[in-house]
Amino acid sequence: AISLARIGSSGINAEYGEVGRLCYIRLGDNAGKTCVIVDLVDQKRLLVDGPHCGLARQVIRLKNLAITDLKVKIARGCKTNVVRAAVTKEDIANKFLQTSLSKKAESKKAKAALGDFDRFKLRVAKTAHNRKIRSAVRKLKKSS
Amino acid sequence: MKFKCAELKEYEIVGRPLAKNDEKMPVYKMTIFAPDEIVAKSRFWYFLRQLKKVRKVNGEILRQTEMSNTSPTKIKNFGIWVRYDSRSGSHNMYREYRDVSRTGAVTQCYRDMAARHRARPHSIQIMKIETVKAADTKRP
Repeated sequence: AISLARIGSSGINAEYGEVGRLCYIRLGDNAGKTCVIVDLVDQKRLLVDGPHCGLARQVIRLKNLAITDLKVKIARGCKTNVVRAAVTKEDIANKFLQTSLSKKAESKKAKAALGDFDRFKLRVAKTAHNRKIRSAVRKLKKSS
Repeated sequence: MKFKCAELKEYEIVGRPLAKNDEKMPVYKMTIFAPDEIVAKSRFWYFLRQLKKVRKVNGEILRQTEMSNTSPTKIKNFGIWVRYDSRSGSHNMYREYRDVSRTGAVTQCYRDMAARHRARPHSIQIMKIETVKAADTKRP
């Protein structure tokens, strides 16, 4: 399989984009869904398929994706059924939910959905939490 | 002159010179890549005029259909034969693009010609476009 270097959008992950890799779509209409790389069009575009998310097979730009370190074993350019079978066999969807990327995305979504009262509650909890930490630190400083 | 925002569309346009008194007139078919129908018709007459002695005034368009993309989820290598006018003459070129559809490849071609050769769309003529097998591509 042809590999290509990722001009990273997440920076930390220096994963290569190759056939079978699971990606998380960051931008665009399909943001939030995961998909599997099926083929490469060129340096910037990938043919991607996400039958487990209801994502149709399509070409996506690399910069709209975040590549994860999860991988599925498929042949280049294989059909959607094959991708679906491989994804369910390796239970990729659940494995993805365990990754930090997915958890961060979830918490971001939850935060955006907070109502005003929820934000107030969050602020109260945060100040209480920070106060505890600061008083503990002050105690340690005094004793040293 | 073509102004392109999104991807071009492929039109198959069939036209012929107007028939006076039941004459049998030859019918001409062209494949035109254009952003919309109107530009497509315009380009059709532009090319037909250059090749045959027909003008829009003396002719009619019999059919214009937008060609849909065959297999938009299959990546193909396209070889495009282009003729373009540079500042100092007209040249033929053969260029290759890797894309999912003919229209995508042709759109890439126009963008590429503009970038590499400063060729404006009005001075570019797509002579032929063919799918090329990976083994037969000139640029691997």
